[in-house]
Amino acid sequence: MSPLIRWFHQLGSPPTFDRFAARWTPWAYLLGLLTMGIGLYGALFQVPADYQQGDSFRIFYIHVPSAWMSMGIFGLMAVYAAIALIWRIKLCEILAMACAPSGAAFTLITLATGSIWGKPMWGTWWDWDPRLTTQLILLFLYLGVMGLYAAIDDRRNAARAAGLLAIVGVALLPVIRWSVVWWNSLHQGQTIRLLGESQMDTSMIQPLWWMVIGTHLWFVGSLLARARADNLHREAGKDWVGKLAGHASVEQAR
Amino acid sequence: MSYREYVIAAYAVFAVVMLWDYIAPKLQLRAALRTVRQRAARNANRAPATNTELER
Repeated sequence: MSPLIRWFHQLGSPPTFDRFAARWTPWAYLLGLLTMGIGLYGALFQVPADYQQGDSFRIFYIHVPSAWMSMGIFGLMAVYAAIALIWRIKLCEILAMACAPSGAAFTLITLATGSIWGKPMWGTWWDWDPRLTTQLILLFLYLGVMGLYAAIDDRRNAARAAGLLAIVGVALLPVIRWSVVWWNSLHQGQTIRLLGESQMDTSMIQPLWWMVIGTHLWFVGSLLARARADNLHREAGKDWVGKLAGHASVEQAR
Repeated sequence: MSYREYVIAAYAVFAVVMLWDYIAPKLQLRAALRTVRQRAARNANRAPATNTELER
């Protein structure tokens, strides 16, 4: 067995995952914060105002990375859920369920910042436009996954039921992605292209990439922290958790 | 800065939600460890009583 595969197998063990998460969570948060700090500085103080939208376009630098995260996290949650259902890997159940609150948070940011941006540009806080409506459905799906996971007492059955909802919900992602193409939409079309030329001046793009990297790193920290908490909750009766809790209480007493 | 209040409101929403995203797992972790400690304390209290009962 190759060392990498062996490492993945070992990571599936709850105590090993706990040590891994405890070690890397602060680093992911810290790097995410620093990277987002660079991005936010560029977004607010370095890039010039848009010739049509003025400074309101600066909302773009939090709106777009959050929107990408909201969809990417849902896809990742579905992948973890599928792995958990097929191979019954407990850690993947935990990771899938840990994705949902962060994904919901980014979806909420997308909707709220889009609404705030829409008021001065479109003259309305909200419109039942295909992009906005599908993004709202995505938030409801996240809340559905979280609610289903919390509603069933048996953690494994709860994760399976919620995971199934996540897998079915993936069908919404292409609808969100192409909603501005398939229907006449108040929401603008695609501005940034990973492949091909973006409809945005290159002087304005750099903070976006910092924000994209920063939100990804932040999400890694959040995912590990949530997964660690759920892992400890599930393993509460085991000796290694008892020792850890004793050690933590001694640390807190100091 | 034009549209200043909208930009501030949007960035404030971002900051508040990110802060929640940071604090919520920390609270979950604390609650999980507290549950484990309470369970350990309960088991420690219960163990001698059971033995006494058996001895009678």
